[in-house]
Amino acid sequence: MNPARPVMRAAPPNDGFVTPVTRFFKRNQTALTPVLLLSPALLTMLFVVAIPLAFSLYTSLTPYRLTRPESIEIFVGARNYMRLLSNDDFWEAFLRTILFLAIALNVEFVLGLGIALLINKITWGQRTLRTIMMFPMMFSPILVGFQFKFIFNDNIGILNNALQSLGITDRAIPWLVDGKLAMFSIIFAEVWMSTSVFAILLLAGLFAMPRDPLEAAKVDGCNAWQTFRHITLPFIMPFAFIAMTIRSLDVARAYDIVAVMTDGGPAGRTELLWTMIARVGYENARMGQANAMAYISTILSIAFTYYFFTKLVAARRYMGGAE
Amino acid sequence: MPKLTMKAMLATALVPLMAMPAVAADYGDFSGYTLRVKLIGGAQYEPLYAEISKWEEMTGATVEILSRKNHFELDREIKQDIAAGTLDWCVGSNHTSFAPQYGSIYTDLSAIVSEETLAGFVPLVLEHGTVDGRLVQLPRHSDVSNLFYIKSLYEDAENQAGFKAEYGYDLMPPETWAQVKDQAMFFANPPDFFGTQFVGKDEAITGRFYEMLVAEGGALFSDDWEPTFNSEAGVRALSFFVDLYKAGAVPVGVPNYLWDDTGLGFASGTVAMNLDWGGWSAFFNDPANSKVAGDIGLIRAPKGSAGIRTGWSGSHTFSVTESCDNKEAAASFVTFLTDYDRQMVEARKGLLPTRGQVWDDAKAEFSASGNDFLVTVFETYQASMAEDAFTPPLIPEWIEVSNALWPKLQAAMVGDMTPQEALDEAAEEALLVMEDAGYR
Repeated sequence: MNPARPVMRAAPPNDGFVTPVTRFFKRNQTALTPVLLLSPALLTMLFVVAIPLAFSLYTSLTPYRLTRPESIEIFVGARNYMRLLSNDDFWEAFLRTILFLAIALNVEFVLGLGIALLINKITWGQRTLRTIMMFPMMFSPILVGFQFKFIFNDNIGILNNALQSLGITDRAIPWLVDGKLAMFSIIFAEVWMSTSVFAILLLAGLFAMPRDPLEAAKVDGCNAWQTFRHITLPFIMPFAFIAMTIRSLDVARAYDIVAVMTDGGPAGRTELLWTMIARVGYENARMGQANAMAYISTILSIAFTYYFFTKLVAARRYMGGAE
Repeated sequence: MPKLTMKAMLATALVPLMAMPAVAADYGDFSGYTLRVKLIGGAQYEPLYAEISKWEEMTGATVEILSRKNHFELDREIKQDIAAGTLDWCVGSNHTSFAPQYGSIYTDLSAIVSEETLAGFVPLVLEHGTVDGRLVQLPRHSDVSNLFYIKSLYEDAENQAGFKAEYGYDLMPPETWAQVKDQAMFFANPPDFFGTQFVGKDEAITGRFYEMLVAEGGALFSDDWEPTFNSEAGVRALSFFVDLYKAGAVPVGVPNYLWDDTGLGFASGTVAMNLDWGGWSAFFNDPANSKVAGDIGLIRAPKGSAGIRTGWSGSHTFSVTESCDNKEAAASFVTFLTDYDRQMVEARKGLLPTRGQVWDDAKAEFSASGNDFLVTVFETYQASMAEDAFTPPLIPEWIEVSNALWPKLQAAMVGDMTPQEALDEAAEEALLVMEDAGYR
């Protein structure tokens, strides 16, 4: 034994200092380990999601005004919600938002699918095309809003000038004034900006698709449509529903587009929940009322998410995936 | 060299000398201090910010710009700061229409800015910056609208004869809004050419309706804050916009127009008359941007049936927070940003000054350099700022009342409601706003 070498000794037992808490942890070590390991995530969820949600729920029960912070202490119960129940403008905006979501998401899906299928066929320059395809989603929604506001301007806009110069029409089409045309214009801008999200996700699905079923279908004499309908489409549907879920939650980014192009007008014809909530919450500074609107609109997000997840599970079951 | 050119050169050389303040101002010594500020951003505001380094050199302080956003985003951010209790900055850009919303977060500048400094400003503009008897903002530049028109249209003999035959009086730049309506309908040839145009959404159309209401002899509220804009005068005011829209005398997209649409529309040469802010003048007369450059006439805003000129006005301003840890430095900074030299910098860009001396000296400078158009612009806007300008009611609820009003104004324009129905509904909503705010 080398005398210079320090002798390693076990730490003396300190049973005399064991508290009931440490005893509890020692006894339940196995049961508590998962809780301890999950605690960072749980705490993060608590501070980032649960507390803000609870706070905004509370403020929706007050007449809270941003410019009068003391108003947060006045409890008015469900008054904000009761006012909304009898507010026709709010419910019209609610239904209009559902319509907007339904049309925009479906059009984006169809176009995204088409683009993904075309790019999947390309053998040369595919990477370059994929990058180009993603350009629209790199623009800020505010810039997209301004861009389309001027494209659809009735007097100096490029679209009306082109239509008039080509002799297609001799009048100025009120793209951003007529109710239906204004909704079309906004949806067009939104689709232009976000279709590539669908295309990218669906393209990933196509890349992951095994070749065997396609070759088997060819051998069995399926034509292109039959192959697409019964093999390709079912395979990429889980990707489509994931894309739909992400987009249905993320589509509120279109707020900036609508705010710049029409700000919900004229006469509320393009008013969506997002423009209404932002106006009430920030311009009117009535954050309590705006939070009540936001809570009701959360129902919409939950409904869309639930629907898409149900469809996703069904699609995976159809493909023999995990339940 | 021709005599005129010699005179012009001499005058140009002398104007800056004459205009120079006798003694350089003392902005104090704040060495080592960092002043935190939130400023309005945008191309037309930037030349002033290039001057900030001069204040830093003179005082030894450093300016930390926390935000540089447009007014609506800045407004949102300030409201969030109020709610979160994070007013840890000293100077903020402000506006006469926005200021009443912010309660008492801004300090009374009359206590920290010298009377001598304040005496240099146009009194009416300082009055517009006063809320509840407190001067909460120092005006940077003001705005009011006047009527631009394409001169050659009025000089054309065929137009003159045709107009007289149809309306029974001579074609002249309009003195009343009734004449504007006649002339707009006369010049209109949609979709290629329009008589006039107006902004059609947000606070913009509320402001345009409000000034027309005043010109028609009406008022937004009674003395005890009951909305009264659904009066006969209100219906006349709204009908002006509705009638022009229905007649096709304005572009069909106007319910969706804001300032950039009307500005670019007039510059495109497709609109005969355009009521607009002074800040657009230089753009309209710049051949690189405007097809009507060199062919622009300008008159004071016409009168309504009550004999009052429209004159909705507002000023871009600077305020100092009550919570500022060095109000002396903040006062020095806002005084610097609105002093004579800084206002001359902005006036040369076409922005309307708030100091009487700058109005005169800027005009002299434009005259000396042969820029007759800007001389006319400054003369016209100086007269309307002094005699016609009025602000919206300086109450915190202005924006909220505006948000109740403008969708209904649009509804009347696009034919969803009659003007009376639209104003009645808006008045009901505005009454709720005023009741909730405790006015009634």
